[in-house]
Amino acid sequence: MDFWFSYIALASIYVLLGLSTNLLVGIAGIFSVSQAAVFGVGAYIVAFFLMNDITSFLPAMAIAAVCCIALNILVTLPALRVSGDYFVVTSFGIQLLATAVFTNWTDGTGGANGLPGIPPPDLAGKALEESWQVVLLCLGGMALGCLIFWLVMRAPFGRLLRAIREDELAVAATGKSVLRAKVSAAALAGAFAGTAGGLYATFLSFIDPSSFDLDASILLLTMVVVGGARTLAGSIIGPFLLLALPQILTLVDIPTTIAAAARQLIYGVLLIAFMLFRPQGLAGEKL
Amino acid sequence: MTPYLQASAVEVSFGGLRALNDCSFTIQQGHITCLVGPNGAGKTTIFNVITGFLKPNSGSVTFKGQPLDGWKPQAIVAAGIARTFQNLRLFVDLTAVDNVLASLPGQTGEEPLAAIFRPFHVAAAQRRRREEALAILDRVGLSARSGDFVRNLSYGEQKLLIIARVLATGAELLLLDEPASGLSSGALEDVMALLRSLRNDGKTLLVVEHNTRVVQKIADDVLFLHQGHLMAQGSPETIVNDPALAEIYFGGAI
Repeated sequence: MDFWFSYIALASIYVLLGLSTNLLVGIAGIFSVSQAAVFGVGAYIVAFFLMNDITSFLPAMAIAAVCCIALNILVTLPALRVSGDYFVVTSFGIQLLATAVFTNWTDGTGGANGLPGIPPPDLAGKALEESWQVVLLCLGGMALGCLIFWLVMRAPFGRLLRAIREDELAVAATGKSVLRAKVSAAALAGAFAGTAGGLYATFLSFIDPSSFDLDASILLLTMVVVGGARTLAGSIIGPFLLLALPQILTLVDIPTTIAAAARQLIYGVLLIAFMLFRPQGLAGEKL
Repeated sequence: MTPYLQASAVEVSFGGLRALNDCSFTIQQGHITCLVGPNGAGKTTIFNVITGFLKPNSGSVTFKGQPLDGWKPQAIVAAGIARTFQNLRLFVDLTAVDNVLASLPGQTGEEPLAAIFRPFHVAAAQRRRREEALAILDRVGLSARSGDFVRNLSYGEQKLLIIARVLATGAELLLLDEPASGLSSGALEDVMALLRSLRNDGKTLLVVEHNTRVVQKIADDVLFLHQGHLMAQGSPETIVNDPALAEIYFGGAI
């Protein structure tokens, strides 16, 4: 039972991250490989506020979301000036920088040892001690994220972002501000990633830098590619499918020492295979 | 009287190449002005300057007496000047009607907060906007293809859609880069009729056009550009029948 709880909670959190990545990479065409860094900042901020008993859960989440909005706009800013390939390199650097900070700023993040003992989330003054309560909270967060994504994509904003991904110059020629639309997309993606971080920290009650490193960013991209770029369904299918993989691997008799490496290998193979043979993913459009 | 659109001594250099060299002209409101000249004469470059995509090294462009120096493309569209591109630049993964919708100005829900917090309002506004977009498609004769993806449209239909998209901006001065090139004779007649009807509706058109037959049929006024400089300006008959200009145009002396 506990396995199912943790699978559903984690998958819900990764759906939020998938939405964040899909919005930036799939829809706006801003190829970011640093979404895990923003996710991490959200997690550490919520952990900090709850562990030091500064605020309760919801205000901490709001603060994390606001900080991640600002941070994501900041890290996406280079994409507004340098295009495509160059931005991937910039974004890669930002991710490495974030990992270095998470690992070495021991006072703030606990360094490589991480932060244990993060209190559970609370709502209306009551701590959610039972795991099913937290699972419901994560599912609620996911549902809210999906609703927002759906609303935004069916509105003119969604169409504007799609048009920008196809041809920025043509959008500018119709008198629209490409810059403003990209900043808005980055803000929304930041809010999703920050919220996901807060849920992650309180659900696991322990965080360390390994959850927010480059591998995590690549995993997010893999989820979007496998699930399908630019669609809500793709952002949901990807995380649920890829997070089931480690569990499936436990059924196969391989030594635990190579299990993590095998998982990483399979993620990599999946990413390449989908890019080559099914670029639209299971339920999406071509990236 | 203030000229409608005036370019004064516009200079543009790309490295050593002078794309525009002391280029000056005016165009009149309510006219179809054709911009002709051999390849490399600077026709597209002057479009880029007028619409703010390219900053001239010197000189300026004024629209209804207002200098456009340093304006961003966005502000210039808002002032009433919009353009098309020679290579179309349609949004090929969107439908025809979405291409037009994407170009309608000032839409509710074009930023995420309104989309999230006022969904019903946005949806209602979108229904009205869709009607508007369909009317524009109807105007260019594409209403039957509104739901089709751009990649499934014929080249002729794509050229009409590009005009629909520039109409959607609401601009009064339309800069059309080769709207008639590469069309079959039937489609060509459609485009020429459309351009004339737009003028009759009060739009002003500045059109890059290579086909002298088309120029003679639609132009009220012709600008002849050569080596980045305005060489001659006049009625289509005088320009087309000028042997010196024909010599330049059809590959004669430099």
